[in-house]
Amino acid sequence: MELHKFGIKFFATNAERIDILKLIPVYHRWIQQKALTDLLIDVADYSHVPGGPGIMLIAHEGNYALDETGHERGVVYYSKQKLTGELSERIALVARKALQAAQLMRADAELEGALQLAGNRLEFFSNDRLVAPNTDAAYAEIEPALRTFLDRLFAGARYTTTRETNPKERLAVRVQADTEVTPETLLARLS
Amino acid sequence: MPVDLAREIDVYEGQIELKKHAKIEDKLFGEARLRRGAYGQRYDNGQRHDGLAHRTLPFPTQATKGVETTWDAPGMQRIKIPFGGLNPNQMDVLADVAEEYSDAICHITTRQDVQLHYVHIEDTPDVMRRLASVGITTREACGNSVRNVTACSLAGVCRCEAFDTTPYAKALAYHLLGHPDTQDMGRKFKIAFSGCKTTSCGLTNIHDLGFIAKTWQSNGVTHRGFEVVIGGGLGAVPYDAKLFEATVPEEEIMPLAQAVTRVFARLGEKRNRGRARMKFLIEKIGLEEFRRLVIEERKVLPNDPRWTEYLQDVERYREEPSKPASTLNLANPDPEFEAWRATNVYAQRQSGYVVATVTLPLGDITSWQLRQLADVARKYVGDTVRTTVEQNLVLRWVSEGDLPALYAELKRLDLALGGAGKIEDVVACPGTDTCKLGIANSRGLAAVLHEDLVARQKKGGIDPAVRDLHIKMSGCFNSCGQHHLADIGFYGVSRKIGGATVPHFRVLMGGEWENNGATYGLTIGAVPSKRIPEFIDHVTQKYLANRASGERFKDYCARIGKKALKEMVDAFSAVPPYAVDRTLYSDWRDPREFTISDITTGECAGEVVPQIEFDLQAAEQRNFEAQIHLEQNEFRKADETAYHSMLIAARGLVRTQLWDLPEDPDRIVPEFRTRFYETQLFQSPDAGQYAGGKFALYLLNRHADKDRVFSAEKARHLVEEAQLFIEAAYGYYQRMVEQQAAAKAGFGVTAPVEAEATT
Repeated sequence: MELHKFGIKFFATNAERIDILKLIPVYHRWIQQKALTDLLIDVADYSHVPGGPGIMLIAHEGNYALDETGHERGVVYYSKQKLTGELSERIALVARKALQAAQLMRADAELEGALQLAGNRLEFFSNDRLVAPNTDAAYAEIEPALRTFLDRLFAGARYTTTRETNPKERLAVRVQADTEVTPETLLARLS
Repeated sequence: MPVDLAREIDVYEGQIELKKHAKIEDKLFGEARLRRGAYGQRYDNGQRHDGLAHRTLPFPTQATKGVETTWDAPGMQRIKIPFGGLNPNQMDVLADVAEEYSDAICHITTRQDVQLHYVHIEDTPDVMRRLASVGITTREACGNSVRNVTACSLAGVCRCEAFDTTPYAKALAYHLLGHPDTQDMGRKFKIAFSGCKTTSCGLTNIHDLGFIAKTWQSNGVTHRGFEVVIGGGLGAVPYDAKLFEATVPEEEIMPLAQAVTRVFARLGEKRNRGRARMKFLIEKIGLEEFRRLVIEERKVLPNDPRWTEYLQDVERYREEPSKPASTLNLANPDPEFEAWRATNVYAQRQSGYVVATVTLPLGDITSWQLRQLADVARKYVGDTVRTTVEQNLVLRWVSEGDLPALYAELKRLDLALGGAGKIEDVVACPGTDTCKLGIANSRGLAAVLHEDLVARQKKGGIDPAVRDLHIKMSGCFNSCGQHHLADIGFYGVSRKIGGATVPHFRVLMGGEWENNGATYGLTIGAVPSKRIPEFIDHVTQKYLANRASGERFKDYCARIGKKALKEMVDAFSAVPPYAVDRTLYSDWRDPREFTISDITTGECAGEVVPQIEFDLQAAEQRNFEAQIHLEQNEFRKADETAYHSMLIAARGLVRTQLWDLPEDPDRIVPEFRTRFYETQLFQSPDAGQYAGGKFALYLLNRHADKDRVFSAEKARHLVEEAQLFIEAAYGYYQRMVEQQAAAKAGFGVTAPVEAEATT
């Protein structure tokens, strides 16, 4: 499937401890330091919107955010441009970018280690209804690549998937693995 | 999707392809995309000050999408919502495109549009197609065109309106959309409808053309019409609209609007962008002369049956409630619900129905919220949702008894915020967040004020007299946040303090939101951005302490006078040295050391691109399509398309002399023959007289060939001939421009662009 616009969100475990406004100077600093491989452009503040995209770091290739959608905070990255490789490799690339951003957040002194991610819980979503709408047929096409990626990410550990049931929403899959590992381990498995 | 909308988007997509291959010049493509609502955004020149220094943003391609506008830089897509009217299907699609091409936020503007930010230019055709599938067009949302036609969000349900202006606003919006009379204006043109003179929602006073509903009796029959005002506008120097005609009958509004736009297009300033709005033309030639010219123009307008046909739709127009009327059961009142109801619910003139306002902080709603709200609308009100000029949404025709259930649903969506139209419902333009012209961060300040005021209201309650005030702000003097109409308004400026730049907001006080925005606030002085919250606190406390009984803020300001107001402002104007306190040297929610060096040329002024340039470009596009047909062995189609491409170019040329030329080939060709072939104007001196004449004959001969037998060979020849014809048309136009420039040499100085309210 020619799906290139999609994202992955890794959920936070201690959401209430994070002062989301502290992300603004952090992201600006990342832009100054070119801290990520993407072309970082600007910071968008949606902290005033409850359950919204939070604080976003806008890049050319994709967008990063400490996202608050559904009042579930987490680090999200979604791609906006054409990617290379097989779909499972593309998913791995997007996940890697989200994890790299998460790792930087965890290590950032200004955030005082407030961000902790669950290493066994994530959401994959298609952000392109024209290519991959929320249908069984589209999911059937994506699922093999998604499972290849998940097997690699969780190193063969068991996991369950739950699909978004509202057909109006994006095709999204929640993944819960049995074994909790650190985001660093996940990143290492994808590197 | 309507065929004409689909075709327009195909053409636009073709223009994108041509631009990618550098086949269209920047100026033309820039205006072409603006006329489709694809607008520039901050840093799109590929430069950004990151707080330490200016850096080049190394986008992958070096291409541009306008003058000094980088191809890959994210842009803004403005989406016109005529009179603010939305149905649930449209809300679903808006939510989807915001999610997939923007940042999952729909931003409601002060002119009832929707804006999406961070959109890539190559995604815009898909955005437009998906919107078109639910009847939304982005055409002429920006550029030198008729912008979104706005109307009261309460139209049809209002207790004080003369009649429902909705069908009139809708009819005029679509009549003028793409209308030939509106394609050659030097600047944007804004129209608003109001159901009455006394409330604020129509804001006719700040528009180029305002229609205020009125009825009158004659021979026992009630007639409908409008008081028409013209020449209003905000911007750096706001102008009140002036009375054009006390009573214009309903069948006259379309021709009157056409006549006004024609006079504006013909006589309005085209070079000095800062003086190009219609208000300046009226100031220059005087209201009486302008009126005379419009009346003369009206007399010579070719008759158009649509001027009166729409009245049948007006008669048929009914907004039907989804559910029967009911009354509210207040047996067990919930204080939270009651607080929300007190500010966000308006009793319609139709008994048993209310309007519920969905307050959107800073005009923002997420994709998920909007989709969910669409379902709520389907359940309770159907197709009756509207955007408002206060950057909110309203659900009309709520059966009153449904209010508690509706409130519960809104609460689930985090959309049950109270305080609609109150002090905490702060209005702000995008400012430095995304606007190329922004000086200070209006949204950052607005967010801080909004959160602070909501918290204060929750805690102990804000005094009702203060809570009734309006706060509005813009990131610069261009007034997109409509700061002139607020009790307390702000616009972004900067001040140099000891060699460093400090973000400030100039304060305006005593503006009037009511009476269609009747009075503009007075500028008092500037306050550092970071001190605005304490300044507001101080001003409102003084007002509470010193106002006369029942005295409105506007009247209080007038009574105490500018000197006293200035003293209040001055008390907060001090800025400590950088070494003592650096916090004032950066803006709200932007830690970068403040600079104004990211400001670039705004696109609200658009580029003045004469209609002939669009016509020639369209002709070229059509010829390209003919080549495609040829490639696909569709010879007849190729032949007819090539012929059509010549007609487009010829009509464009003729219209430089005869504006009212219909699209009928039997009218175009004789006019072209008389004006360009027989006069030898079409003949290029470079190519020799023979060549120029020959190129003209390609069209004349093809037009005369009424019994044409189509063949592959003929089609191939005609496609080639059409290309030469279009080149010759370009050649003529180039000569014309050069001659005009030579004639004007030494005259006219282009002044810096002063943009005005963008949306």
